[in-house]
Amino acid sequence: MSLVHAEYLKISRRKLFPVMLLILGFLMLLTAVLFFVVLPALPEFGGDSPVPERPGAFVFGAQQVAGQAWWFAVILATAVLGGELSGTAWATALTRDSSKLNHVGSRLLIYSTASWLAFLFGTALWAVVTWLAADGSGSPEMTEWLGLVWRFALIAVAWTSIGLGAVAITRSIGPAMGIALGFSFLDSILAPFIAPYENVSLTAASNGMFDVGGDGPFSVFIPGADLSLTHAIIITLGWALVGFGLTWWGLRRRDA
Amino acid sequence: MNLPAAAVRVSGLTKRYKRTEALRGLDFEIPAGQVTGFLGPNGSGKTTTFRSLLGLTRPNEGDIEILGMEVPRQLSQITKKVGAIIEEPGLIKAHTGRVNLRIAADTLGFGHDTIEEMIEFVGLSSDADRKVDEYSKGMRQRLALAAALLGQPELLLLDEPLDGLDPAGQHAFRARLRALADEGRTVVVSSHDLADIEALANYVVVIDHGRLITQGPLEDLLDGGMIRVVVDNVDAAIRVLSAAGMESRRDDGGLVVDAQDGVDIVRALAQAGIYPSEVRPERNSLESMFLGITGEEQA
Repeated sequence: MSLVHAEYLKISRRKLFPVMLLILGFLMLLTAVLFFVVLPALPEFGGDSPVPERPGAFVFGAQQVAGQAWWFAVILATAVLGGELSGTAWATALTRDSSKLNHVGSRLLIYSTASWLAFLFGTALWAVVTWLAADGSGSPEMTEWLGLVWRFALIAVAWTSIGLGAVAITRSIGPAMGIALGFSFLDSILAPFIAPYENVSLTAASNGMFDVGGDGPFSVFIPGADLSLTHAIIITLGWALVGFGLTWWGLRRRDA
Repeated sequence: MNLPAAAVRVSGLTKRYKRTEALRGLDFEIPAGQVTGFLGPNGSGKTTTFRSLLGLTRPNEGDIEILGMEVPRQLSQITKKVGAIIEEPGLIKAHTGRVNLRIAADTLGFGHDTIEEMIEFVGLSSDADRKVDEYSKGMRQRLALAAALLGQPELLLLDEPLDGLDPAGQHAFRARLRALADEGRTVVVSSHDLADIEALANYVVVIDHGRLITQGPLEDLLDGGMIRVVVDNVDAAIRVLSAAGMESRRDDGGLVVDAQDGVDIVRALAQAGIYPSEVRPERNSLESMFLGITGEEQA
Protein backbone atom coordinates (compact mmCIF):
# COMPACT_ATOMS: atom_id res chain seq x y z
CA MET A 1 0.00 0.00 0.00
CA SER A 2 2.84 2.36 0.73
CA LEU A 3 3.96 2.23 -2.89
CA VAL A 4 0.44 3.00 -4.09
CA HIS A 5 0.34 5.89 -1.62
CA ALA A 6 3.69 7.16 -2.90
CA GLU A 7 2.48 7.07 -6.49
CA TYR A 8 -0.70 8.86 -5.48
CA LEU A 9 1.29 11.56 -3.69
CA LYS A 10 3.56 11.96 -6.70
CA ILE A 11 0.78 12.76 -9.15
CA SER A 12 -1.61 14.44 -6.73
CA ARG A 13 0.17 17.79 -6.86
CA ARG A 14 1.34 17.66 -10.44
CA LYS A 15 -0.16 20.33 -12.65
CA LEU A 16 -0.25 17.82 -15.51
CA PHE A 17 -3.38 16.06 -14.26
CA PRO A 18 -5.65 19.10 -13.79
CA VAL A 19 -4.36 20.71 -16.99
CA MET A 20 -5.14 17.59 -19.04
CA LEU A 21 -8.47 17.30 -17.27
CA LEU A 22 -9.32 20.84 -18.37
CA ILE A 23 -8.32 20.05 -21.95
CA LEU A 24 -10.38 16.85 -21.96
CA GLY A 25 -13.34 18.68 -20.44
CA PHE A 26 -13.05 21.48 -22.98
CA LEU A 27 -12.93 19.04 -25.90
CA MET A 28 -15.95 17.11 -24.63
CA LEU A 29 -17.93 20.29 -24.04
CA LEU A 30 -17.00 21.54 -27.49
CA THR A 31 -18.10 18.28 -29.13
CA ALA A 32 -21.32 18.18 -27.13
CA VAL A 33 -22.16 21.78 -28.00
CA LEU A 34 -21.42 21.02 -31.65
CA PHE A 35 -23.83 18.09 -31.64
CA PHE A 36 -26.64 19.50 -29.53
CA VAL A 37 -26.50 23.24 -30.19
CA VAL A 38 -24.70 23.97 -33.49
CA LEU A 39 -26.01 21.07 -35.61
CA PRO A 40 -29.70 21.58 -34.77
CA ALA A 41 -29.30 25.30 -35.46
CA LEU A 42 -27.32 24.80 -38.69
CA PRO A 43 -28.41 21.41 -40.09
CA GLU A 44 -26.67 22.03 -43.44
CA PHE A 45 -23.30 21.49 -41.72
CA GLY A 46 -24.24 18.01 -40.55
CA GLY A 47 -25.22 16.52 -43.89
CA ASP A 48 -27.10 13.33 -43.30
CA SER A 49 -25.72 12.77 -39.79
CA PRO A 50 -28.57 12.40 -37.33
CA VAL A 51 -28.37 14.41 -34.12
CA PRO A 52 -28.39 11.99 -31.17
CA GLU A 53 -31.40 12.21 -28.91
CA ARG A 54 -31.90 11.23 -25.30
CA PRO A 55 -31.49 8.67 -23.83
CA GLY A 56 -29.04 7.33 -26.47
CA ALA A 57 -27.22 10.68 -26.55
CA PHE A 58 -25.81 10.01 -23.08
CA VAL A 59 -24.18 6.77 -24.22
CA PHE A 60 -23.01 8.46 -27.42
CA GLY A 61 -20.95 10.77 -25.21
CA ALA A 62 -19.34 7.84 -23.44
CA GLN A 63 -18.47 6.38 -26.85
CA GLN A 64 -16.80 9.66 -27.79
CA VAL A 65 -14.73 9.62 -24.62
CA ALA A 66 -13.75 5.96 -25.01
CA GLY A 67 -12.73 6.42 -28.61
CA GLN A 68 -10.92 9.72 -28.37
CA ALA A 69 -9.59 10.27 -24.86
CA TRP A 70 -7.01 7.47 -24.92
CA TRP A 71 -4.33 10.16 -25.14
CA PHE A 72 -5.08 11.11 -21.54
CA ALA A 73 -3.90 7.75 -20.19
CA VAL A 74 -0.93 7.63 -22.55
CA ILE A 75 0.32 11.12 -21.74
CA LEU A 76 -0.12 10.68 -18.00
CA ALA A 77 1.75 7.38 -17.96
CA THR A 78 4.58 8.45 -20.24
CA ALA A 79 5.05 11.87 -18.62
CA VAL A 80 5.13 10.69 -15.01
CA LEU A 81 7.22 7.54 -15.42
CA GLY A 82 9.31 9.10 -18.17
CA GLY A 83 10.07 12.09 -15.95
CA GLU A 84 11.44 9.77 -13.31
CA LEU A 85 13.38 7.55 -15.69
CA SER A 86 15.10 10.42 -17.47
CA GLY A 87 15.55 12.52 -14.34
CA THR A 88 17.18 11.85 -11.02
CA ALA A 89 14.18 11.39 -8.76
CA TRP A 90 15.07 8.75 -6.23
CA ALA A 91 17.59 7.30 -8.62
CA THR A 92 18.58 4.43 -6.42
CA ALA A 93 14.99 3.38 -5.80
CA LEU A 94 14.25 3.28 -9.49
CA THR A 95 17.44 1.37 -10.12
CA ARG A 96 16.66 -1.23 -7.55
CA ASP A 97 13.00 -1.77 -7.84
CA SER A 98 11.43 -0.15 -10.87
CA SER A 99 10.79 -3.43 -12.66
CA LYS A 100 9.43 -5.30 -9.68
CA LEU A 101 5.82 -6.21 -10.11
CA ASN A 102 4.64 -4.21 -7.10
CA HIS A 103 6.28 -1.04 -8.48
CA VAL A 104 4.87 -1.52 -11.97
CA GLY A 105 1.52 -2.55 -10.51
CA SER A 106 1.23 0.45 -8.20
CA ARG A 107 1.98 2.83 -11.07
CA LEU A 108 -0.53 1.08 -13.33
CA LEU A 109 -3.16 1.22 -10.61
CA ILE A 110 -2.74 4.92 -9.82
CA TYR A 111 -2.32 6.18 -13.40
CA SER A 112 -5.21 4.02 -14.64
CA THR A 113 -7.43 5.25 -11.83
CA ALA A 114 -6.57 8.86 -12.64
CA SER A 115 -7.37 8.29 -16.33
CA TRP A 116 -10.58 6.45 -15.44
CA LEU A 117 -11.67 9.41 -13.31
CA ALA A 118 -10.88 11.71 -16.21
CA PHE A 119 -13.00 9.59 -18.56
CA LEU A 120 -15.88 9.76 -16.08
CA PHE A 121 -15.39 13.52 -15.81
CA GLY A 122 -15.56 13.92 -19.59
CA THR A 123 -18.68 11.78 -19.75
CA ALA A 124 -20.26 13.78 -16.93
CA LEU A 125 -19.67 17.06 -18.76
CA TRP A 126 -21.18 15.57 -21.90
CA ALA A 127 -24.15 14.38 -19.86
CA VAL A 128 -24.76 17.89 -18.51
CA VAL A 129 -24.92 19.35 -22.04
CA THR A 130 -27.08 16.43 -23.17
CA TRP A 131 -29.45 16.95 -20.28
CA LEU A 132 -29.67 20.68 -21.00
CA ALA A 133 -29.74 20.70 -24.82
CA ALA A 134 -30.52 17.32 -26.41
CA ASP A 135 -33.93 16.45 -27.75
CA GLY A 136 -35.82 13.49 -26.41
CA SER A 137 -36.30 12.40 -22.85
CA GLY A 138 -35.15 9.98 -20.22
CA SER A 139 -31.69 8.64 -19.44
CA PRO A 140 -30.04 5.23 -19.47
CA GLU A 141 -30.82 2.69 -16.75
CA MET A 142 -28.50 2.54 -13.76
CA THR A 143 -27.10 -0.79 -14.98
CA GLU A 144 -26.18 0.86 -18.26
CA TRP A 145 -24.33 3.64 -16.44
CA LEU A 146 -22.51 1.07 -14.31
CA GLY A 147 -21.61 -0.82 -17.47
CA LEU A 148 -19.93 2.32 -18.81
CA VAL A 149 -18.00 2.70 -15.58
CA TRP A 150 -16.24 -0.66 -15.72
CA ARG A 151 -15.73 -0.45 -19.48
CA PHE A 152 -13.90 2.86 -18.94
CA ALA A 153 -11.75 1.16 -16.32
CA LEU A 154 -10.66 -1.49 -18.83
CA ILE A 155 -9.88 1.11 -21.50
CA ALA A 156 -7.90 3.17 -18.98
CA VAL A 157 -5.84 0.16 -17.90
CA ALA A 158 -5.08 -0.86 -21.50
CA TRP A 159 -3.94 2.58 -22.67
CA THR A 160 -2.02 3.27 -19.45
CA SER A 161 -0.19 -0.04 -19.89
CA ILE A 162 0.71 0.83 -23.46
CA GLY A 163 1.98 4.25 -22.36
CA LEU A 164 4.04 2.71 -19.57
CA GLY A 165 5.42 0.08 -21.93
CA ALA A 166 6.44 2.68 -24.49
CA VAL A 167 8.24 4.84 -21.96
CA ALA A 168 9.88 1.91 -20.21
CA ILE A 169 11.44 0.85 -23.49
CA THR A 170 12.44 4.28 -24.76
CA ARG A 171 13.09 5.85 -21.29
CA SER A 172 12.17 9.16 -22.83
CA ILE A 173 8.81 10.95 -22.89
CA GLY A 174 8.74 12.28 -26.46
CA PRO A 175 9.63 9.04 -28.27
CA ALA A 176 7.29 7.13 -25.96
CA MET A 177 4.38 9.38 -26.88
CA GLY A 178 5.33 9.01 -30.53
CA ILE A 179 5.25 5.22 -30.26
CA ALA A 180 1.86 5.26 -28.48
CA LEU A 181 0.47 7.71 -31.03
CA GLY A 182 1.81 5.59 -33.88
CA PHE A 183 0.30 2.48 -32.34
CA SER A 184 -3.09 4.17 -31.99
CA PHE A 185 -2.96 5.37 -35.59
CA LEU A 186 -1.90 2.02 -37.04
CA ASP A 187 -4.35 0.14 -34.85
CA SER A 188 -7.28 2.23 -36.02
CA ILE A 189 -6.12 2.19 -39.67
CA LEU A 190 -5.36 -1.54 -39.91
CA ALA A 191 -8.48 -2.82 -38.17
CA PRO A 192 -11.05 -1.77 -40.82
CA PHE A 193 -8.98 -3.04 -43.73
CA ILE A 194 -7.29 -6.19 -42.47
CA ALA A 195 -10.01 -8.47 -41.22
CA PRO A 196 -7.83 -10.75 -39.04
CA TYR A 197 -6.34 -7.74 -37.29
CA GLU A 198 -9.79 -6.54 -36.32
CA ASN A 199 -9.92 -9.55 -34.00
CA VAL A 200 -7.02 -8.17 -31.94
CA SER A 201 -7.40 -4.43 -32.48
CA LEU A 202 -7.72 -2.29 -29.38
CA THR A 203 -9.72 0.28 -31.34
CA ALA A 204 -12.10 -2.45 -32.47
CA ALA A 205 -12.35 -3.77 -28.92
CA SER A 206 -13.13 -0.31 -27.60
CA ASN A 207 -15.84 0.12 -30.25
CA GLY A 208 -17.15 -3.34 -29.48
CA MET A 209 -17.38 -2.73 -25.77
CA PHE A 210 -19.15 0.60 -26.20
CA ASP A 211 -21.32 -0.66 -29.03
CA VAL A 212 -20.01 1.89 -31.53
CA GLY A 213 -20.90 1.27 -35.14
CA GLY A 214 -24.33 1.54 -36.66
CA ASP A 215 -25.22 1.62 -40.31
CA GLY A 216 -24.23 5.13 -41.37
CA PRO A 217 -22.22 5.87 -44.52
CA PHE A 218 -18.92 5.58 -42.66
CA SER A 219 -19.75 2.50 -40.62
CA VAL A 220 -17.44 0.42 -42.80
CA PHE A 221 -14.54 2.41 -41.33
CA ILE A 222 -15.58 1.68 -37.76
CA PRO A 223 -14.12 -1.69 -36.81
CA GLY A 224 -15.33 -3.85 -33.96
CA ALA A 225 -19.06 -3.23 -34.21
CA ASP A 226 -19.67 -6.95 -34.54
CA LEU A 227 -17.31 -8.06 -31.78
CA SER A 228 -18.96 -9.76 -28.83
CA LEU A 229 -18.52 -8.11 -25.47
CA THR A 230 -16.46 -11.05 -24.20
CA HIS A 231 -14.19 -10.90 -27.23
CA ALA A 232 -13.74 -7.14 -26.78
CA ILE A 233 -12.91 -7.56 -23.10
CA ILE A 234 -10.34 -10.25 -23.86
CA ILE A 235 -8.66 -8.06 -26.50
CA THR A 236 -8.55 -5.09 -24.13
CA LEU A 237 -7.12 -7.17 -21.30
CA GLY A 238 -4.68 -8.70 -23.75
CA TRP A 239 -3.32 -5.30 -24.74
CA ALA A 240 -3.15 -4.34 -21.07
CA LEU A 241 -1.07 -7.45 -20.49
CA VAL A 242 1.17 -6.66 -23.45
CA GLY A 243 1.75 -3.14 -22.09
CA PHE A 244 2.42 -4.48 -18.62
CA GLY A 245 4.88 -7.01 -20.00
CA LEU A 246 6.67 -4.38 -22.06
CA THR A 247 6.88 -2.16 -18.99
CA TRP A 248 8.36 -4.95 -16.91
CA TRP A 249 10.77 -5.93 -19.68
CA GLY A 250 11.84 -2.36 -20.42
CA LEU A 251 12.47 -1.55 -16.78
CA ARG A 252 14.14 -4.90 -16.25
CA ARG A 253 16.62 -4.04 -18.98
CA ARG A 254 17.21 -0.71 -17.31
CA ASP A 255 17.62 -2.24 -13.87
CA ALA A 256 19.96 -4.98 -15.07
CA MET B 1 29.32 -2.58 10.61
CA ASN B 2 31.54 -5.26 9.15
CA LEU B 3 33.04 -3.63 6.09
CA PRO B 4 35.82 -4.71 3.80
CA ALA B 5 38.89 -2.49 3.73
CA ALA B 6 37.80 -1.02 0.41
CA ALA B 7 34.17 0.04 0.17
CA VAL B 8 34.46 0.50 -3.59
CA ARG B 9 36.80 -1.22 -6.03
CA VAL B 10 36.77 -0.26 -9.69
CA SER B 11 39.01 -1.66 -12.39
CA GLY B 12 39.22 -1.06 -16.11
CA LEU B 13 35.96 0.92 -16.18
CA THR B 14 35.23 2.11 -19.70
CA LYS B 15 32.16 3.95 -20.89
CA ARG B 16 31.73 5.09 -24.46
CA TYR B 17 29.01 7.33 -25.74
CA LYS B 18 28.45 7.80 -29.46
CA ARG B 19 31.41 10.03 -30.16
CA THR B 20 33.12 10.34 -26.82
CA GLU B 21 34.84 8.05 -24.39
CA ALA B 22 33.79 9.26 -20.95
CA LEU B 23 35.74 6.64 -18.98
CA ARG B 24 38.93 5.05 -20.27
CA GLY B 25 39.93 2.07 -18.20
CA LEU B 26 39.42 3.80 -14.87
CA ASP B 27 40.84 2.07 -11.78
CA PHE B 28 40.47 3.21 -8.17
CA GLU B 29 39.64 2.10 -4.67
CA ILE B 30 37.75 3.91 -1.96
CA PRO B 31 38.55 3.00 1.64
CA ALA B 32 35.70 2.17 4.00
CA GLY B 33 34.70 4.45 6.86
CA GLN B 34 36.26 7.64 5.55
CA VAL B 35 35.29 10.71 3.58
CA THR B 36 36.75 10.38 0.10
CA GLY B 37 36.96 13.29 -2.26
CA PHE B 38 36.36 12.29 -5.87
CA LEU B 39 38.07 15.04 -7.78
CA GLY B 40 38.28 15.99 -11.39
CA PRO B 41 37.78 18.93 -13.72
CA ASN B 42 34.38 19.41 -15.33
CA GLY B 43 33.86 16.69 -17.92
CA SER B 44 36.45 14.39 -16.39
CA GLY B 45 33.96 11.55 -15.90
CA LYS B 46 32.94 11.97 -12.25
CA THR B 47 29.18 11.80 -12.79
CA THR B 48 29.48 8.96 -15.33
CA THR B 49 31.50 7.05 -12.74
CA PHE B 50 28.84 7.59 -10.07
CA ARG B 51 26.07 6.60 -12.45
CA SER B 52 28.00 3.46 -13.32
CA LEU B 53 28.46 2.61 -9.64
CA LEU B 54 24.71 2.88 -9.09
CA GLY B 55 23.75 0.98 -12.21
CA LEU B 56 22.17 4.06 -13.74
CA THR B 57 24.36 3.67 -16.78
CA ARG B 58 25.92 0.53 -18.12
CA PRO B 59 29.70 0.64 -18.66
CA ASN B 60 31.12 -1.00 -21.78
CA GLU B 61 33.94 -2.68 -19.90
CA GLY B 62 35.33 -3.02 -16.41
CA ASP B 63 34.55 -4.44 -13.01
CA ILE B 64 32.88 -2.71 -10.09
CA GLU B 65 32.70 -4.05 -6.55
CA ILE B 66 30.78 -2.18 -3.86
CA LEU B 67 30.82 -3.31 -0.24
CA GLY B 68 32.21 -6.64 -1.42
CA MET B 69 29.40 -7.17 -3.95
CA GLU B 70 29.52 -7.05 -7.73
CA VAL B 71 27.81 -4.44 -9.89
CA PRO B 72 25.49 -5.04 -11.67
CA ARG B 73 24.95 -8.69 -10.61
CA GLN B 74 24.22 -7.84 -6.96
CA LEU B 75 22.84 -4.35 -7.54
CA SER B 76 19.58 -5.10 -5.80
CA GLN B 77 21.46 -5.89 -2.56
CA ILE B 78 23.96 -3.09 -3.02
CA THR B 79 21.42 -0.31 -3.43
CA LYS B 80 19.81 -1.22 -0.12
CA LYS B 81 23.10 -0.19 1.48
CA VAL B 82 23.88 2.85 -0.65
CA GLY B 83 22.42 6.34 -0.49
CA ALA B 84 23.04 8.73 -3.33
CA ILE B 85 22.57 12.24 -4.60
CA ILE B 86 23.25 12.38 -8.33
CA GLU B 87 23.29 15.77 -10.03
CA GLU B 88 20.24 17.89 -9.17
CA PRO B 89 18.19 15.96 -6.62
CA GLY B 90 14.81 14.97 -8.04
CA LEU B 91 12.52 16.45 -5.44
CA ILE B 92 8.83 17.09 -5.99
CA LYS B 93 8.57 20.83 -5.56
CA ALA B 94 4.82 20.97 -5.02
CA HIS B 95 5.13 18.87 -1.87
CA THR B 96 6.60 19.74 1.51
CA GLY B 97 9.97 18.43 2.58
CA ARG B 98 8.34 15.96 4.93
CA VAL B 99 6.00 14.59 2.22
CA ASN B 100 8.98 14.25 -0.13
CA LEU B 101 10.71 12.11 2.46
CA ARG B 102 7.57 10.01 2.92
CA ILE B 103 7.45 9.43 -0.84
CA ALA B 104 11.13 8.50 -0.83
CA ALA B 105 10.68 6.15 2.11
CA ASP B 106 7.63 4.50 0.54
CA THR B 107 9.38 4.13 -2.80
CA LEU B 108 12.55 2.77 -1.24
CA GLY B 109 10.60 0.51 1.08
CA PHE B 110 12.19 1.85 4.26
CA GLY B 111 9.17 2.78 6.34
CA HIS B 112 8.73 6.15 8.03
CA ASP B 113 10.63 5.42 11.25
CA THR B 114 13.74 7.43 10.45
CA ILE B 115 12.12 10.42 8.76
CA GLU B 116 11.97 12.67 11.81
CA GLU B 117 15.51 11.75 12.83
CA MET B 118 16.81 12.59 9.37
CA ILE B 119 14.91 15.87 9.22
CA GLU B 120 16.55 16.84 12.49
CA PHE B 121 19.97 15.60 11.38
CA VAL B 122 19.97 17.78 8.28
CA GLY B 123 18.64 20.77 10.22
CA LEU B 124 15.27 21.11 8.52
CA SER B 125 13.00 20.65 11.54
CA SER B 126 11.48 24.11 11.30
CA ASP B 127 11.10 23.96 7.49
CA ALA B 128 9.93 20.39 6.98
CA ASP B 129 6.32 21.42 6.39
CA ARG B 130 7.14 24.09 3.83
CA LYS B 131 6.85 23.32 0.13
CA VAL B 132 10.16 22.40 -1.49
CA ASP B 133 9.43 25.09 -4.06
CA GLU B 134 10.14 27.61 -1.31
CA TYR B 135 13.45 25.99 -0.30
CA SER B 136 16.85 27.48 -1.02
CA LYS B 137 19.33 25.35 -2.92
CA GLY B 138 21.11 24.50 0.31
CA MET B 139 17.88 23.34 1.92
CA ARG B 140 17.11 21.16 -1.11
CA GLN B 141 20.54 19.61 -0.89
CA ARG B 142 20.02 18.90 2.80
CA LEU B 143 16.62 17.37 2.06
CA ALA B 144 18.19 15.20 -0.63
CA LEU B 145 20.82 14.14 1.91
CA ALA B 146 18.06 13.21 4.35
CA ALA B 147 16.40 11.12 1.62
CA ALA B 148 19.71 9.44 0.83
CA LEU B 149 20.13 8.59 4.52
CA LEU B 150 16.68 7.10 5.05
CA GLY B 151 17.88 3.54 4.75
CA GLN B 152 20.85 4.08 7.09
CA PRO B 153 23.23 3.37 4.19
CA GLU B 154 26.77 2.14 4.69
CA LEU B 155 27.97 4.05 1.64
CA LEU B 156 26.94 7.52 0.51
CA LEU B 157 27.68 8.68 -3.03
CA LEU B 158 27.20 12.44 -3.34
CA ASP B 159 27.74 14.09 -6.69
CA GLU B 160 28.72 17.75 -6.29
CA PRO B 161 26.62 18.15 -3.10
CA LEU B 162 28.21 21.46 -2.16
CA ASP B 163 27.86 23.04 -5.56
CA GLY B 164 25.99 26.32 -5.36
CA LEU B 165 25.70 26.41 -1.58
CA ASP B 166 26.61 29.60 0.27
CA PRO B 167 29.55 29.42 2.72
CA ALA B 168 27.30 28.86 5.74
CA GLY B 169 25.42 26.11 3.89
CA GLN B 170 28.69 24.47 2.86
CA HIS B 171 29.95 24.58 6.43
CA ALA B 172 26.77 22.98 7.77
CA PHE B 173 26.74 20.33 5.04
CA ARG B 174 30.40 19.47 5.61
CA ALA B 175 29.82 19.12 9.35
CA ARG B 176 27.01 16.64 8.70
CA LEU B 177 29.12 14.60 6.29
CA ARG B 178 31.96 14.47 8.82
CA ALA B 179 29.51 13.30 11.46
CA LEU B 180 28.43 10.48 9.17
CA ALA B 181 32.02 9.39 8.63
CA ASP B 182 32.57 9.49 12.39
CA GLU B 183 29.74 6.95 12.67
CA GLY B 184 31.75 4.64 10.43
CA ARG B 185 29.95 5.25 7.16
CA THR B 186 31.82 5.67 3.91
CA VAL B 187 31.13 9.01 2.28
CA VAL B 188 32.25 9.75 -1.28
CA VAL B 189 31.92 13.34 -2.41
CA SER B 190 32.62 14.33 -5.97
CA SER B 191 33.62 17.91 -6.63
CA HIS B 192 35.60 20.13 -8.89
CA ASP B 193 36.03 22.55 -5.98
CA LEU B 194 39.36 21.75 -4.36
CA ALA B 195 38.74 23.79 -1.21
CA ASP B 196 35.59 21.73 -0.52
CA ILE B 197 37.52 18.51 -0.64
CA GLU B 198 40.54 19.80 1.28
CA ALA B 199 38.24 20.85 4.11
CA LEU B 200 36.32 17.59 4.15
CA ALA B 201 38.13 14.51 2.89
CA ASN B 202 40.69 12.12 4.37
CA TYR B 203 41.27 10.33 1.10
CA VAL B 204 41.34 11.61 -2.45
CA VAL B 205 40.81 10.06 -5.86
CA VAL B 206 41.70 12.34 -8.76
CA ILE B 207 40.54 11.55 -12.29
CA ASP B 208 40.84 13.39 -15.56
CA HIS B 209 39.79 12.47 -19.11
CA GLY B 210 38.20 9.32 -17.71
CA ARG B 211 41.43 7.98 -16.20
CA LEU B 212 42.87 7.79 -12.71
CA ILE B 213 45.48 10.47 -12.10
CA THR B 214 46.28 9.69 -8.50
CA GLN B 215 44.71 8.42 -5.30
CA GLY B 216 45.75 8.22 -1.69
CA PRO B 217 45.35 9.70 1.78
CA LEU B 218 45.00 13.47 1.54
CA GLU B 219 47.85 14.04 4.01
CA ASP B 220 50.25 11.98 1.89
CA LEU B 221 49.28 13.78 -1.28
CA LEU B 222 49.69 17.18 0.31
CA ASP B 223 52.99 16.33 1.98
CA GLY B 224 55.51 18.24 -0.10
CA GLY B 225 58.56 16.45 1.38
CA MET B 226 60.07 19.83 2.31
CA ILE B 227 60.62 21.80 5.52
CA ARG B 228 59.91 25.53 5.75
CA VAL B 229 62.37 27.49 7.95
CA VAL B 230 62.10 31.14 9.00
CA VAL B 231 65.37 32.83 10.03
CA ASP B 232 66.68 36.41 10.17
CA ASN B 233 69.70 35.81 7.94
CA VAL B 234 68.47 33.71 5.05
CA ASP B 235 71.69 33.84 2.98
CA ALA B 236 73.82 32.67 5.92
CA ALA B 237 71.36 29.86 6.63
CA ILE B 238 71.44 28.66 3.01
CA ARG B 239 75.29 28.55 3.14
CA VAL B 240 75.26 26.60 6.43
CA LEU B 241 72.70 24.08 5.20
CA SER B 242 74.55 23.64 1.90
CA ALA B 243 77.75 22.90 3.81
CA ALA B 244 75.76 20.32 5.83
CA GLY B 245 74.60 18.64 2.57
CA MET B 246 71.03 19.97 2.51
CA GLU B 247 69.63 21.75 -0.49
CA SER B 248 67.53 24.81 0.20
CA ARG B 249 66.12 27.83 -1.57
CA ARG B 250 64.82 31.25 -0.63
CA ASP B 251 61.03 31.35 -0.54
CA ASP B 252 58.56 33.95 0.67
CA GLY B 253 60.71 35.60 3.37
CA GLY B 254 62.19 32.30 4.61
CA LEU B 255 63.68 29.23 3.04
CA VAL B 256 62.46 25.83 2.00
CA VAL B 257 64.76 22.90 2.70
CA ASP B 258 64.67 19.55 0.91
CA ALA B 259 64.50 17.32 3.98
CA GLN B 260 62.05 15.08 5.77
CA ASP B 261 63.11 15.89 9.33
CA GLY B 262 63.51 19.33 10.90
CA VAL B 263 65.89 18.16 13.67
CA ASP B 264 68.94 17.99 11.40
CA ILE B 265 68.20 21.45 10.07
CA VAL B 266 67.87 23.00 13.53
CA ARG B 267 71.05 21.28 14.72
CA ALA B 268 73.10 22.49 11.74
CA LEU B 269 71.84 26.05 12.04
CA ALA B 270 72.27 26.19 15.83
CA GLN B 271 75.91 25.05 15.52
CA ALA B 272 76.43 28.09 13.29
CA GLY B 273 74.70 30.40 15.75
CA ILE B 274 71.53 30.75 13.67
CA TYR B 275 68.32 30.16 15.57
CA PRO B 276 65.17 29.73 13.43
CA SER B 277 61.90 31.28 14.65
CA GLU B 278 59.81 28.70 12.77
CA VAL B 279 60.42 25.19 11.43
CA ARG B 280 57.47 23.25 9.96
CA PRO B 281 56.65 20.76 7.21
CA GLU B 282 55.86 22.46 3.92
CA ARG B 283 52.46 21.32 2.70
CA ASN B 284 51.24 21.59 -0.84
CA SER B 285 47.79 23.00 -1.23
CA LEU B 286 45.36 20.62 -2.87
CA GLU B 287 45.02 23.17 -5.62
CA SER B 288 48.74 23.17 -6.43
CA MET B 289 48.86 19.39 -6.22
CA PHE B 290 45.81 19.06 -8.46
CA LEU B 291 46.99 21.60 -11.00
CA GLY B 292 50.42 19.97 -10.98
CA ILE B 293 49.20 16.47 -11.72
CA THR B 294 46.38 17.33 -14.11
CA GLY B 295 48.72 19.76 -15.86
CA GLU B 296 51.34 17.03 -16.25
CA GLU B 297 48.69 14.71 -17.61
CA GLN B 298 47.58 17.25 -20.16
CA ALA B 299 51.17 18.01 -21.13
